[in-house]
Amino acid sequence: MSEPLLEVQDLHTVFSTKEGQVKAVDGVSFELNAGETLGIVGESGCGKSMTALSIMRLQRPGRIVGGKVMFKGQDLTRVSEYEMREIRGREIAMIFQDPMTSLNPVYRVGWQVGEPTRLHNGWDARKAFSSAVSMLGRVGIPSAASRARDYPHQFSGGMRQRAMIAMGLTTTPHVLIADEPTTALDVTIQAQILDLLRDVNREFGTATILITHNLGVVAGMCQRLIVMYAGKIVEAGPTADVFAHPKHPYTWSLLRSIPRLDAETHEPLKPIEGLPPNLVDLPSGCAFHPRCAFRVEKCSRDVPALLRVGDTQQAACWVTQSGTELKGG
Amino acid sequence: MIDPAAVEVALPRTDVAGTAFRPAQSYWSESWERLRANRVGMAAGGLVLLMVAIAAAAPLLAAYVVHHNPFGIDLYATFSPPSGAHWLGTDEDGRDTLIRLVYGAQVTLTVAFLSVTVSLLVGGTVGLIAGFYGGWLDNVLMRFVDILLSIPAIYLLILLTILQPKIGPVQLSTSDPRSLAVIIAIVSWGGLSRLVRGEVLTIKNRDFMLAARSIGASDLRLVLRHLLPNVLAVMIVAASLNVGAIIITESILDFIGLGIQPPTASWGNMLTNAQTYFYHSVWLVVLPGALIFITVLAMNLFGNALRDAFDPRLKS
Repeated sequence: MSEPLLEVQDLHTVFSTKEGQVKAVDGVSFELNAGETLGIVGESGCGKSMTALSIMRLQRPGRIVGGKVMFKGQDLTRVSEYEMREIRGREIAMIFQDPMTSLNPVYRVGWQVGEPTRLHNGWDARKAFSSAVSMLGRVGIPSAASRARDYPHQFSGGMRQRAMIAMGLTTTPHVLIADEPTTALDVTIQAQILDLLRDVNREFGTATILITHNLGVVAGMCQRLIVMYAGKIVEAGPTADVFAHPKHPYTWSLLRSIPRLDAETHEPLKPIEGLPPNLVDLPSGCAFHPRCAFRVEKCSRDVPALLRVGDTQQAACWVTQSGTELKGG
Repeated sequence: MIDPAAVEVALPRTDVAGTAFRPAQSYWSESWERLRANRVGMAAGGLVLLMVAIAAAAPLLAAYVVHHNPFGIDLYATFSPPSGAHWLGTDEDGRDTLIRLVYGAQVTLTVAFLSVTVSLLVGGTVGLIAGFYGGWLDNVLMRFVDILLSIPAIYLLILLTILQPKIGPVQLSTSDPRSLAVIIAIVSWGGLSRLVRGEVLTIKNRDFMLAARSIGASDLRLVLRHLLPNVLAVMIVAASLNVGAIIITESILDFIGLGIQPPTASWGNMLTNAQTYFYHSVWLVVLPGALIFITVLAMNLFGNALRDAFDPRLKS
């Protein structure tokens, strides 16, 4: 396989709070290859958004305290702020969770969608606007030429997210980071936006990092999958393999907690017991052990490393690393 | 059998293109619509505009309409009541009251609008910087504003008008309306900067600011293109409400002899000797006072109308 497009190596991002230091991203490493779609899954507060923001160096008020983000031979954690601005929007674009608030209310949609090309390609307002119109058309905004003159409040949530995607694509970036792009949308619109992201990936060859807490979204979109818990990657591997044979109890619990249409009528849902950990005061050993159905004595003592388990997957779990299969109802 | 008509209905419509069309209305044009609907506000705004027009046309009025000039002393016609020769009477030196009021308007309005512009520029800039960058810079700037706001404004004004400090090449002197405007602005920008800072704090953490950052916008661009247009409405409203207060301040300074110096006419200094003449020449007291009152009231009504037009909380 050729050189990965984006390589995150042992990334650490911390926040200082009154209660102490929060390790929002704690030694995360992964690769993104050209043209692929990578899913990052986890609960709220597990560090998945912070990982994405750290790649873009938008983690403020957090601080990157260690690791590298290699992109085109450069370490993005070390380039100057000016160079970083040239990369943002031109090479790596980002789409945010809430399309209702991601567009500036005082500007016409077309103006905003064209902003990256004015910044990076040096286009004048007219050229940027007409490119914005054609891009809005390509992401499925009907009568794009007239709708581009609308203000954001005249767009529905789904249309705003399409506009955000169009804005991300005007400069044909190599990487698109979509941070929960469908969470704030209703279900039918979600499917449309996911279809659009898939088309974009195919048509533009844009490598996509899809951040979500929705495993169903990952199943339909991503070739590979990363599962995060308390700032760490706990499992990584090809989506199909992870779904078929999860190698970390957290992934196993997540998959088991999805409501199924083919379940018995009165079968209760199976939530994960306990609460997500307090990031200021993490449990000793494996951060998941207090909620884990498979824990052994070692789990509360030593932190497991992310190691190969099985043929294609990696997991940070003492139990599966010793060869135990995760089973049970 | 499936009814083909039912299938037709269930199919997604492909012609939705034009159906959702509404004319684009910006925040500004919507606000303008609301402002226009406010009759009191529009009348007040019109009155202020009329005052400005009269003040600007003062030399023309002096030459072609009133046929007096503001310094024309006529010791044979002191304290003459309103008449054909002097429509609004004369003062203790026989000067025409009407033309002095018109020239006084020039002074008062220059001071008011210039002063509000300067305090908007200074207060707006400080508020934007303090709110956007936060941290120690915010602390330093806001503590300075706290100190400024803790000193009684009238005390600071008296100090400034007596010391007449030099700022760069500009000598501040109270005989010049432009200097007086700067002096008043020095005292009044603090409140504005606090207001702008507060507004910036609520807006800078909105998602569109992060989104703008994520496409590679610089700090300068973030502040000027994304932040400023969102706080501009609040700044305009605060400024328009400030104009009235500045007119009052200026009148007080003139009245106590620290502002515009005679023989230059201003509404404030026309009142200075008025208490002595009140019993025999009531117009010398009532006219400047009424003009101050009407202008301040009009400005405040217009400011309120602007606030109602811009305030997002009142938006449907």
